[in-house]
Amino acid sequence: MKKKSKEIYKRFIGNIEKNILPLLVLIVLILIWAAIFKPDNFYTAGNFVAMAYQIPEFGILALGMAICMISGGIDLSMVGIANLCAIAAALTVTKTGSAAMAIILAVIVGALSGCFNGLMVGFFGIPPMLVTLGGLQIFTGLAMAVTKGAAITGIPETFLVIGNGLILKSVPISLVVLLVSAVVLHVILKFTVYGQQVYMMGTNSTASRYTGINNVMVNIRTYMISGVLASLAGIIMCSRYGSANSDYGSSYTLLTLLIAVLGGIDPNGGKGKVFGVMLSIVILQFVSSMFNILRFNSFLKTCIWGLILIVVMISNYWLQNRHRVRRSKKE
Amino acid sequence: MEKILLEAKGIKKSFGGVHALQGVDFKVHKGEILCLAGENGCGKSTLIKVVSGAHDADEGEVVINGHKYTSLTPQDSMREGIQIIYQDFSIFPNLTVAENIAINWEIQGKKKLVSWKKIEEIARKAMDNLGITLDLYLPVERLSVANKQVVAICRALLDNAKLIIMDEPTTALTSKEVARLFEIIKLLQKKGIAIVLVNHKLEEVYDIVERITILRNGKNVADGPIDEFDEVRFIECMTGRAIEKKSYRPDLQSTVEIFRVEKLKREGAFENVSFTMHKGEILGITGLLGSGRGEIGEALFGITPATGGQVFIGGEQITIRNVQDAIRGGISYVPDDRLTQGLFLEQSIGLNTVIAAIRKYCKQFFLSYEAMESGMTNWIKELNIAAPSSKPPIKTLSGGNQQKVVLAKWLDTNPKILILNGPTVGVDVGSKSDIHDILRELAAQGIGIIIISDDLPELEQNCSSVIIMKQGKMADTLNKDEMALLSDKLRD
Amino acid sequence: MKHDLKYFLGKNETIIFLIIVIISIMIGIINPAFWGISTVFNTARAMLIMLMFAMCEMLIIISGGIDVSFPAIATLAMYGTTLFMTKMGIDNIFIAFLMGALIGVLCGLFNAVLTATFGIPALIATLGTSSLINGGMLTLLGSRELTIIPESMEGLYKAALFRTELPDGTVSTLTPLIIIPIVLCIGFYLILKYTMFGRAVYAIGGDAAAAKRVGFRVKRVQYMVYMLSGLIVGITGIVYTILMRLANATNLMGTEMMVIAAVVIGGVRISGGKGSVPGVVLGVLLINIVSNNLIIIGIPNYWQKFVIGIIIVLGTAMTSIRDKRIVSSPKI
Repeated sequence: MKKKSKEIYKRFIGNIEKNILPLLVLIVLILIWAAIFKPDNFYTAGNFVAMAYQIPEFGILALGMAICMISGGIDLSMVGIANLCAIAAALTVTKTGSAAMAIILAVIVGALSGCFNGLMVGFFGIPPMLVTLGGLQIFTGLAMAVTKGAAITGIPETFLVIGNGLILKSVPISLVVLLVSAVVLHVILKFTVYGQQVYMMGTNSTASRYTGINNVMVNIRTYMISGVLASLAGIIMCSRYGSANSDYGSSYTLLTLLIAVLGGIDPNGGKGKVFGVMLSIVILQFVSSMFNILRFNSFLKTCIWGLILIVVMISNYWLQNRHRVRRSKKE
Repeated sequence: MEKILLEAKGIKKSFGGVHALQGVDFKVHKGEILCLAGENGCGKSTLIKVVSGAHDADEGEVVINGHKYTSLTPQDSMREGIQIIYQDFSIFPNLTVAENIAINWEIQGKKKLVSWKKIEEIARKAMDNLGITLDLYLPVERLSVANKQVVAICRALLDNAKLIIMDEPTTALTSKEVARLFEIIKLLQKKGIAIVLVNHKLEEVYDIVERITILRNGKNVADGPIDEFDEVRFIECMTGRAIEKKSYRPDLQSTVEIFRVEKLKREGAFENVSFTMHKGEILGITGLLGSGRGEIGEALFGITPATGGQVFIGGEQITIRNVQDAIRGGISYVPDDRLTQGLFLEQSIGLNTVIAAIRKYCKQFFLSYEAMESGMTNWIKELNIAAPSSKPPIKTLSGGNQQKVVLAKWLDTNPKILILNGPTVGVDVGSKSDIHDILRELAAQGIGIIIISDDLPELEQNCSSVIIMKQGKMADTLNKDEMALLSDKLRD
Repeated sequence: MKHDLKYFLGKNETIIFLIIVIISIMIGIINPAFWGISTVFNTARAMLIMLMFAMCEMLIIISGGIDVSFPAIATLAMYGTTLFMTKMGIDNIFIAFLMGALIGVLCGLFNAVLTATFGIPALIATLGTSSLINGGMLTLLGSRELTIIPESMEGLYKAALFRTELPDGTVSTLTPLIIIPIVLCIGFYLILKYTMFGRAVYAIGGDAAAAKRVGFRVKRVQYMVYMLSGLIVGITGIVYTILMRLANATNLMGTEMMVIAAVVIGGVRISGGKGSVPGVVLGVLLINIVSNNLIIIGIPNYWQKFVIGIIIVLGTAMTSIRDKRIVSSPKI
């Protein structure tokens, strides 16, 4: 009985990756840091509850960024899609009062936006960086055009409950959305044909073509997934803040990139697991929380995110080059 | 007694446990034409890199023009007059022909400013030397492989070279261009320049080369004047085994048609290609690079689909517009560029094995890792792949084992037709023989095997018939009794 | 053989030029005032900053890299210098440019270390430095807009090379600052075409490994590219201060996309190795004419970002497709 559950565990999570351990160590270090310097602020029920509400917004975006990077690309337009979907949802719910319709419409908008990105990348072969940077302009611009620059407010309670409500009187709905998204993404990446194709295409898109993988479809699907995830993040943001605007969350792009890279996603594609990304999300939430407690202003936070990204990339470089064979100095 | 231009003594070089060179000696006399031969993996590329200064030898010394070096830099090597033309040519696809030709000269000149007039002059002169005319202002990425090599050779000839080493120079040239290349080589010899042709096929360089040095597994095996070597001795030295004149003759004279191609054509690549394959047959397609031989494979597999003609599998016509169509029709393709087209280097051996047929490992939507694992281990056993398990990344395997994995990947899809482009390039002797055995077995089971290759012994020994392509058209078809004529017919 | 008519017609620069002409005619029909010297002056003024940024970005992209941190570097140069000068009471335009250049070079050096020595993908590295520099600056120096700038800068702001009077009595001037980007463009053109450094940039962008083998000092060139770019970007920040008559901590942020789009539309291949000064100038001109005249064509303010985004995506898509077609065309 015990052996079987261990097997199931191992098969589900996969063998412990080399980069999971450092992440766990980091979490412990941060918890110790908090315990030493601000135990009364960090280790309170209030703080953990607040973190539980904050995490889903950028966490879901990070998952989207992760899958695009595994496929060998990147999605810099997610924040724009999120805002666009938030506005779509806000308009729907304020005009019809139906939260369900608002959610459905927002997800469709997200999927279509992602489809656009995927088509540009997969069919026309335009570099993902260019496509999604341009896409960011388009989606944000569309959002601006629809709202004429103003924010949409007056969101009914039925919708606000998504970002602010609880399931089973204890777990925030938005957190559940994040966890479910993570599990679904993990299952997709590990247990579906499409998932394996994403890894392979991200490793070598020429070989994947020669293997019969339909690169165009894989790209479209991938960016649609990130589009849908962006829409979920948008819905949660709109619901939490009670309003939708065209330029919320612009600092999230760098943050989600940082989370992905820290979580073990290789920017060149083909490598990375959801579990690592989740740990990375938790790490960054803890750090962000500590920053709030330490009263760092948002500028300082942005600065430190940039610094951490650079430090992580440099340490990745050192770790990789330790294993490389010592070549002659000419190389 | 000719002066010795370059002498490498006792060169040892290892890369993290792999002993590429184990105490190799190498000598080149002034103005001689030498062939450095050996199978892939014998160490000849490493030796070249040591001599050019790109690698530092672990042990041994290199003496050039009487100067002794224990640690050679590329600048030293070039200053001593050593020029290397690598197989990938080291040319810049985004720069023009003229600039590519003149680039070494520009850098050596240590100039800060560029004179385009001078560049044009230099490039034109270099091309005239070779009797070639190319549009000087064309970006090199627009050129065919053959012309790219011409540009590389032009460049190498410009410097005050005393020794030019060419890595597999004849692979991409037509017979006319090979003849012209040999003329130039003789011209250079008259000027006192030594030429080393690195090659693994004797017949290509037999006419021009004076002396030959053969390496095997990082050690010297033979060294002497070319007339002391014939095909048999050559292959024996290269492979360490006596040549096996085992030829493939299909047991059944089957009339069951498994594959038929009628008037297949692709704009700018090939036309009017027709052939029929019966159960048990192995078809060979050969020709010089650019003759369309590789393009036929890529058309049948849907990578660059044909623009005309018809394809029949088992009597039924299929249309191949893309790779998915081809795979669905039962066609598999082992590409010639294993590293870029055939393998996912960073991924595991196991994943590389099952990725093509991965759909069949699904149990109700989800992949069964158990099924995949057993599939992986089965293939490793069946094809005799030297791998500790299915987990390590495939880049850790040798070329021969990697090729077996590519083969396994396609066999996993239960193909009806298996096309292989250069199946044993860069593959060690043992694996090469294994692969040939596997192909014969498959043919006997009724799978149509097409081998596209320029390795004549491979074709002679394994094919029941061979098509010779010349400039996009079928020039000749040899059946099993006419195989001995293969090399002659090719060079016509 | 060398340059025939067909070659010219197929060139990217020609196509962009034709598009500019067509669009200008369209705008001119709707608003005849477009055909005046004042348009030239105003366009020049509007293009100034973007053109300088575009030259730097062009250099970096041709060499095979990319840089999204230049707005942050320019902002630091502008804000830091202005703050320093007003606090210390220094009023010397040359010191301003010098400081700006110095700040820019140091930031460029930092980018170079990350990309050339540590091999961090340029996009990620410069995203990181952008946040680091801008966030750090806002934290340490504050975010207040500085509207009081040194006298000498004001002086340059007021100066004019040419003036012209519009029918409604207002005066339109051509700022002497236009000389800087003009000199820059000519300089970069000469560098790229006639110096070994320029050829090295192309070579490395085409095939960095081959460049190393052939003898180019790849890392050195990469360092120089990022540092030179940083220098110019720093100077651009000072020019911006003069032009706008203030130092602002956040205005320039977010302009990366437009500049990169202008560069790509101008024919620079994002993967490196291809591109030219005339093309980039035309690309910047196109983006500017379009974005400054959307109002005239009747596109309301809040639709502008969307329209510009579409144009950017279309423009970059077209050049990408063109490139792919060239690469897969039949070989000669």
